[in-house]
Amino acid sequence: MSQWKRRATALAATLSASALLLTACSGGSGGGGPDDPIVIGVSLPLTGDFSEPGKGVQRGYEAWVSAVNENGGLLGREVELRVLDDQSSADRVVQDYEALIAHYEVDLVFGPFSTRLVVPSARVAEEYGMLFVEPAGAAEAVFEQGFENLFYAAPAIAQDHYAHLADHILSLPEGQRPRTVAVASMDDPFAQGTAHGLRDRLAEAGLEIVVDETYPPNTTDFAGIAAKIDDSGADMVIGGTQYQDAVNLIVALQQLNYQPQIAAFSTAPTNPEFPVAIGDRTEGIIAPTGYTPDADWPSNVAFVEHYTEMFGGPPAEDEANAYTTGQVVAAAVEAVGCAEQGECQQRLVDWLRDNEVDTVVGPLSWDDKGRPQSAHLIQQYVDGEVSIVLPEDTAEAPFVHPKPEW
Amino acid sequence: MSGSLLFQSLVLGVLLGGLYALLAAGLTLYFGVMRVVMIAHSAFLILAAYLAWYFNKETGLDPLLSLVVTVPLFFAAGVVMQRLLITRLRPATLTMMSVLLTFAIALFIEGMLGFVFTGTQRRINLSYSGSDIEFFGAQIAVVKLVAFGLAAVSLALLYVLLKKSRFGQALRATIQHPQAAQLVGVRTDRVAGLGFGIGLATAAVGGTALSLDATIYPSLHWHWVGPLMAIIVVGGLGSIPGTAIAAMVLGIGQSLLQVELGTTWAQTLFYIALFVTLMVRPQGFFGGRLAQRF
Repeated sequence: MSQWKRRATALAATLSASALLLTACSGGSGGGGPDDPIVIGVSLPLTGDFSEPGKGVQRGYEAWVSAVNENGGLLGREVELRVLDDQSSADRVVQDYEALIAHYEVDLVFGPFSTRLVVPSARVAEEYGMLFVEPAGAAEAVFEQGFENLFYAAPAIAQDHYAHLADHILSLPEGQRPRTVAVASMDDPFAQGTAHGLRDRLAEAGLEIVVDETYPPNTTDFAGIAAKIDDSGADMVIGGTQYQDAVNLIVALQQLNYQPQIAAFSTAPTNPEFPVAIGDRTEGIIAPTGYTPDADWPSNVAFVEHYTEMFGGPPAEDEANAYTTGQVVAAAVEAVGCAEQGECQQRLVDWLRDNEVDTVVGPLSWDDKGRPQSAHLIQQYVDGEVSIVLPEDTAEAPFVHPKPEW
Repeated sequence: MSGSLLFQSLVLGVLLGGLYALLAAGLTLYFGVMRVVMIAHSAFLILAAYLAWYFNKETGLDPLLSLVVTVPLFFAAGVVMQRLLITRLRPATLTMMSVLLTFAIALFIEGMLGFVFTGTQRRINLSYSGSDIEFFGAQIAVVKLVAFGLAAVSLALLYVLLKKSRFGQALRATIQHPQAAQLVGVRTDRVAGLGFGIGLATAAVGGTALSLDATIYPSLHWHWVGPLMAIIVVGGLGSIPGTAIAAMVLGIGQSLLQVELGTTWAQTLFYIALFVTLMVRPQGFFGGRLAQRF
């Protein structure tokens, strides 16, 4: 019995030693030989506050990797993804990108989810001179840090998300335009950016801002804010919101029987859980969105089909932005003809500065700070269905104004 | 500021205060009876809210009916938790160690909720969730009224139980002087277990009330720990009426401050009240003798 035990111990020791050896070998995968895979490093919030969108981004990246490999890879080489979990923590995300670039020596990096994680991780990428294309840092703050290697892979930054809605409202004849506006936004760079972009444009055009409320991210009770908005009798309400606050605020407004002409909320209405939470009282609610699976951009049709096959349902915005990140990096890699750390990265950056890339969210190009030069679509719940209503040339349904009672 | 907004905010403040009182009731009970700082109380609230949501989703019935299952379940869980875990802590370091122990339990509940129900944010979609009734020009949401009613009934029951029943007497004796209670034949350990069970049963009711009008997700409980702790400290640890009064004062205060100062400042009211209480009257404004008497 004891001999058997000794053998088992010896076997276990050999196995662990081999495992260690294997890990050590695979650590430095960035060799860049013609047959080696191209390894892309990414850290994502797979647990913690941002885990839901984080997992969405992961699915988008995985869909892109499988699509690329099915079509012969990048530069004829297989593509591999190395994903670390940053637990939604800004400290962890920094460690993760340090590890991905310096220890694992990945060839390329993709960005994480959320402005709060993009800024610290972009700083690491910048230090190592890596190209940094990211799917989820839309707040103006991201582009004010002076990053030279960063590109946002979506149609527009937060400040411009409501641009088409602002254009539309200001194009209405004086008599039909809302006169008073109530604004409520979460104290978060992205959420606030979306609402303030629209608020400032409307205020400049002479509309009166009658409520301008900011609330902390941990707010649980929205009855007070709703009471203020209701009391102001504003013609229009703008929410600079993430998910739960938008839902809570909308329900609180409905409980007070407040009926605005226009009700616009960022983020939540594009989430599939939204109509489940609000029920049949979504009528007329507006939201900006960077993506629709129905868009007929050439690569989008293939993406939706491929994604649906992989995950059993159509992709949403986070998935699409992640896929777009892959497309943007791939376009640069194919054009420049390299994908490794070092001097190649600067060539990739330079190429993206000067070129336009066709993606699933439309053609994208960037200014010198990495801001995409396009605009978000505006969607609205009409007859229980969500449709793109602005801009008019891509609209699937007419913009309903004033909105029906909710 | 218009008069109607002030009145509307006052009404909302009263409703909010009622909910706060219910959510904090169990918390003050644990401390009163056992000197246990129960960090996991709000995690149990969210657990109850999830069970109510799940019950509604699976059966299509009103989430309030889930109380038939969750109240006894939480009561039993409380008794078991006290008998198996809390009693093992050394009396000398009970308060401090209970923080660590219940912190771990809170993390465990949060993790399990995420694992079982995912991190997706949920909300019960009730036919009456957007309905309101008019009250002297103010709008009162039906769900908030139901939650308030639930709070009032539960707190009244709790008060009667503690004041009128033999068990309540034994519990109060245990709170006032455990050794003396033992001398006159009160089985304080058993009483403490049942007291913990009752505290957790209030969490079942509170969580269900919360689920009627809130979007829930696994980490939501951290947002509740601070305000609830502030309420029980201001109210006087261990005093149910003190907690109810403090909850009402802070709820109304928050609602009225919000009108002029905005949400951020209104929320700091809890922490200002906490600091002032600890500096001026550490036993709480309604604690002390009141806490002894309930």
